[in-house]
Amino acid sequence: MDDEPLSAEESLNLIAQQNRRTRRELGGGPARMLAAWALAWIVGWSFAYFTTQTETVPGWAGGVVVAVLFVAAMVYTGVVSARAGRGIRGPSKTVGAMYGYSWALSSMGLSVIDIRITMFGTLTSDQVSLLWSGTWLLLTGVQYLAGGMLWQDKLMYGLGGWMIVSAGLSVLVGFPANFLVLTICGGGGFLLGAIVYFVREKSGRR
Amino acid sequence: MSDPLPQLDPVIHAQARLRVTVALAGLHSADQITFPRLQQLLDMTAGNLSTHLRKLEDAEYVEITKAYEHRTPVTLVRLTAAGRAAFESYTKALHQLLDATGGD
Repeated sequence: MDDEPLSAEESLNLIAQQNRRTRRELGGGPARMLAAWALAWIVGWSFAYFTTQTETVPGWAGGVVVAVLFVAAMVYTGVVSARAGRGIRGPSKTVGAMYGYSWALSSMGLSVIDIRITMFGTLTSDQVSLLWSGTWLLLTGVQYLAGGMLWQDKLMYGLGGWMIVSAGLSVLVGFPANFLVLTICGGGGFLLGAIVYFVREKSGRR
Repeated sequence: MSDPLPQLDPVIHAQARLRVTVALAGLHSADQITFPRLQQLLDMTAGNLSTHLRKLEDAEYVEITKAYEHRTPVTLVRLTAAGRAAFESYTKALHQLLDATGGD
């Protein structure tokens, strides 16, 4: 690392190079995480829809596949954010942790509510399906609204709004088309978000 | 352009310190980074990084804090507001130089 004088051009190249490296190491952006969630939603919910259209696969298999994919996406998101935040101290780390915990807390709360209502047994299985898809899309939407506010990210906020519209839509279209709303509007929303963030990262914008 | 050519800040205008500054500027302004993580972002030896950080600290571009976390000492590094401003005017000066010398 000798300190030979740099030309202006060399300096700018060095800045760009180190910037890319820093951004990659510090997690870059949400593109990869959104892509993981897009995969989980699109594959999981389209499989759940498929189980309603065929006799060969039992309905509960859809639930299992969705659960496995969601846990995998959660683990991936957790590992990526923990690795990106290594050695960083300060407000952005605190905000990130609070955001992560708010997902965990609200998911646990909603699980208790939805499981309790399901256990009453007064709703038909079709209605139970609507309860779950509607409330989970709503929770996802509200979390993204909060994320958009935290990081002053209009795209994230917009994704939240879109998820809330999808929540309403999934209940209105009824069972089993609600799975298609989850696949196309929910999973598709994540995929679109992932693509936009990916293009932004490539073009060097933050 | 009739402006005289801008001077490049000698504290920043050296390969190693420029890279340190860029890496620190990539953090949010109130955030700090631990010494080992910064070292990993830059692929520098501890000795080399310390030397350059000291120069940046002398210029008050960088703030170095020693703290304890779970009884383990940690060194935390942060770009100061002055450091951030100096980096901004440095990059501005680079662009001006390039415009002036490189034609268009």
